[in-house]
Amino acid sequence: MMCRTDQMVPEPGEGNDVDSTDAVFTSLLEDSAEELYEHAPCGYLSTLMDGTIAKINTTLLDWLGLDRSRVVGRMRFTDLLTVGGKLYHETHFAPLLQMKGEVSGIAMDIKAAAGQRMPVLVTSRVKTSKDGEPLLIRTTVFDARERRAYEAELLRGRRAAEEAHRQAEADRARLQEALAVLQQSLLPAELPVIPGLEAGSYYHTASPDLLGGDFYDLFPLVGGRWAFFLGDVCGKGPQAASVTSLARYTLRAAALHDADPVTVLTTLNNVLHERYAGGEGRYCTVIFGVLEPHDGHVGVHLASGGHPSALIQRADGSADYLPTPGGLLVGVLPQAPFTTAHARLLPGDTLLLYTDGLTEARTGPGRETFGEDALRSFTAAQPPSGPQALITALSGLLTSFGDGLDDDTALLALGMPASLPTPRVNT
Amino acid sequence: MSPLTITTRDAGTGPVLEITGDLDHATAPELRTVVEGLTLTAGHLLVVDLARLDFCDSSGISALLSARSWAITHGGGIALAAVPAHTARILRIVGLDQVFTLHPDVSAATAS
Repeated sequence: MMCRTDQMVPEPGEGNDVDSTDAVFTSLLEDSAEELYEHAPCGYLSTLMDGTIAKINTTLLDWLGLDRSRVVGRMRFTDLLTVGGKLYHETHFAPLLQMKGEVSGIAMDIKAAAGQRMPVLVTSRVKTSKDGEPLLIRTTVFDARERRAYEAELLRGRRAAEEAHRQAEADRARLQEALAVLQQSLLPAELPVIPGLEAGSYYHTASPDLLGGDFYDLFPLVGGRWAFFLGDVCGKGPQAASVTSLARYTLRAAALHDADPVTVLTTLNNVLHERYAGGEGRYCTVIFGVLEPHDGHVGVHLASGGHPSALIQRADGSADYLPTPGGLLVGVLPQAPFTTAHARLLPGDTLLLYTDGLTEARTGPGRETFGEDALRSFTAAQPPSGPQALITALSGLLTSFGDGLDDDTALLALGMPASLPTPRVNT
Repeated sequence: MSPLTITTRDAGTGPVLEITGDLDHATAPELRTVVEGLTLTAGHLLVVDLARLDFCDSSGISALLSARSWAITHGGGIALAAVPAHTARILRIVGLDQVFTLHPDVSAATAS
């Protein structure tokens, strides 16, 4: 609101004399006490001890939409209240007032003009005579519409927040389900049955929120040969998972065209290097290999692109790495070196491929990495009972690492059963 | 888990980044951001000092490779100095000891 400066109360020290200041106040405060009572910004009423209204101000009459002549001497305070307000008055307000002589700030509804209900805050005090006899009840009635609306708004806000929270929880559950399904799509649903061979695999997911980048597969080639691979994409999350998917299908397609391990890895290298050239690069380590079943043994031809060396558990109880040093992480250079290795699996021998979640797991009080030597010792200490038995032992080992295992870990074991000619497969 | 801090200084041979803490999935983007804000004169060397690196996972390795691509794109080179034993072992396994020039310390890296 604008005020004309010449009507304003002068600032102290501006030189006006005291008389003129008083005159300004007087003109501002022209309201009489009666005027103040009638038009105060709250309702006033006085009732006899039986509740009969003896006096009521204009503000309250306006709220009620009632004429003074219909109210004074004819209505009781409770007649102004809604049914709920009446009940509350009878059961709580009146007894409390009688007991304590004063009741303050009670929320009730009055029957306002035009059939509306109006939330108010009521304060009443009993006026007594000099000798303590109760004479009448003075009551103030404050408009609580804004306040009630504000409370309702707060309540609505809280309900909305609770609903949003419920929704977020539901979304989270749905997202985790989708991630789990996607994760599974990066791995074979189950390993194929290979005549004369046994296979086992295991996948440990470090975090349900982050898609892992480990992958493996086993599938047939022409001429009775089988191809296998196991790899690890750098990084985590959806970006890594998209590379995992690309790597898996590229390796499968390339192997069907020409299964030579270095050729297959070179194709994957070209694909990754070109696909992500110029942007944020995407890389993976992989071992890709081919199994050639023969009478009495299985030939293994594999190549590694920066992947930890495969381990062979021999039927005689020893275990040795099949070293593939010098192979490069796939996708880094346009022309990358890959390192080949060959081995012969005899009955009872098992070839183990793993990702570095296993060897990099933290163990013991010193949180040392588990390491390759420990993996070899552990494997040599297991009875040479085939791929599935080794996978079971290793998954138990991974579980024993507890929170020392903080990365995704994939295991793939392939071998020739020692005596059982029946093909078996487990995933 | 220790937070990542990266300090940048300029040697006569080019920028030197000193990396302290963990370089992992959560922090690797910081390294990319810092590297992309650098200026590298053609023919100069970006030296990444890893003496105070506590931990580096595959996301960290990817970030180092991004730094390498960036340096090469700008006509320069990259060298890693004082690589901790654990990270050096990982670099060797994935064959990146052939891709990155490795120096025992920063002074060796900038002494060209």
